[in-house]
Amino acid sequence: MKRAIPVLVLTVAGLVPVWRYEPSTGTTSTARAAPAPTASAPSGSSSGTVVKGTTVHTEKGPVQVEVVFQGEEIASVRMLQQPDHPQTQAAVPKLIEETLRAQSADIDTVSGATITSDGYKESLQAALDAKGA
Amino acid sequence: MRRVEQVMGFPVSLRVDDEDVPERAADAVFDWLREVDARFSPFRPDSEVSRLDRGEVRDVSADLREVLDLCEEYRLATGGAFDVRLPGRGLDPCAVVKGWSVQRAAGLLTAAGARRFCLNAGGDVVVAGGPWRVGVRHPEHADRLCTVLELTDAAVATSARYERGDHILDGRTGLPATGLLGMTVVAPTLTEADSVATAAFALGAEGIAWAAARPGCEVFAVDAERRVFRTAGMPVAPGTAAAA
Repeated sequence: MKRAIPVLVLTVAGLVPVWRYEPSTGTTSTARAAPAPTASAPSGSSSGTVVKGTTVHTEKGPVQVEVVFQGEEIASVRMLQQPDHPQTQAAVPKLIEETLRAQSADIDTVSGATITSDGYKESLQAALDAKGA
Repeated sequence: MRRVEQVMGFPVSLRVDDEDVPERAADAVFDWLREVDARFSPFRPDSEVSRLDRGEVRDVSADLREVLDLCEEYRLATGGAFDVRLPGRGLDPCAVVKGWSVQRAAGLLTAAGARRFCLNAGGDVVVAGGPWRVGVRHPEHADRLCTVLELTDAAVATSARYERGDHILDGRTGLPATGLLGMTVVAPTLTEADSVATAAFALGAEGIAWAAARPGCEVFAVDAERRVFRTAGMPVAPGTAAAA
């Protein structure tokens, strides 16, 4: 076990940037188990050995992972605890849902590809440039 | 001062409201963009990008290195959905080059003393000294908008199918990305806004949450079912947001 712990810590460090890109859909804390003071004893099964990591206190908050080993190799890693930190909260963006509608308005410019000249001629941006010239 | 020129294959329009900014500041902007086209266009056989792709470049220039590093950053961040080196295709860093080069052009304007300007390069926009009202082109009607943003100092980029059709490929499958109709990103710089919008478009529906989680990025997206998603911080002009 002693040799397994540094591996877990390294795995945690490697996972930190991933949170931003794989937001969970629920709350920021996915803790299902109480923080364990030490790594749990491995529980073996036919599908691999499951090991809970120690709770690691990073500058962003406590982190705990569960790792499934297949022999010596890491088969999967699951977050048991994630830091409750603004950066992590931002990983669960609140999206407002609306319906698509067309509108016109008094505008200065238009965002949206106007790649070809033909397309540009039709585009609002051309009208705006003509109006301002 | 207003100028419109066709550079890098799309129209670039510039408006500078500061009367003390000389015409040569605009000249510098268009000179720089023409230089970028000559150096980084994959459609020019003699560009550095084309020569690098053919293995003829030993020491990559600092500018191209910066661009390629950004490309790699977004490839990793999207799990390969955004990839400028797709199998069977030449190196094509256009998606990053555009935002990166136009952001630098905006820097030239600021350095020349411009405080209130709007630089629109083929639909990707950098504004300074707002408020500026930026319409987002409707994904299906070329002459209509789907929202209006009010920006002060910011950049906005929109990736959509528009007249180019299915031109953004999902690097994970090699097939056209069809999960979204449009992806608009507002960010502090166009380097970020353009790269994030293109990368998120390549990711498809999951790109909405991915882009929204990028630091400093606000998102307005239309999915294939014509639903609109936007982040709470998206600076939609008052009175233009549809009912939730």
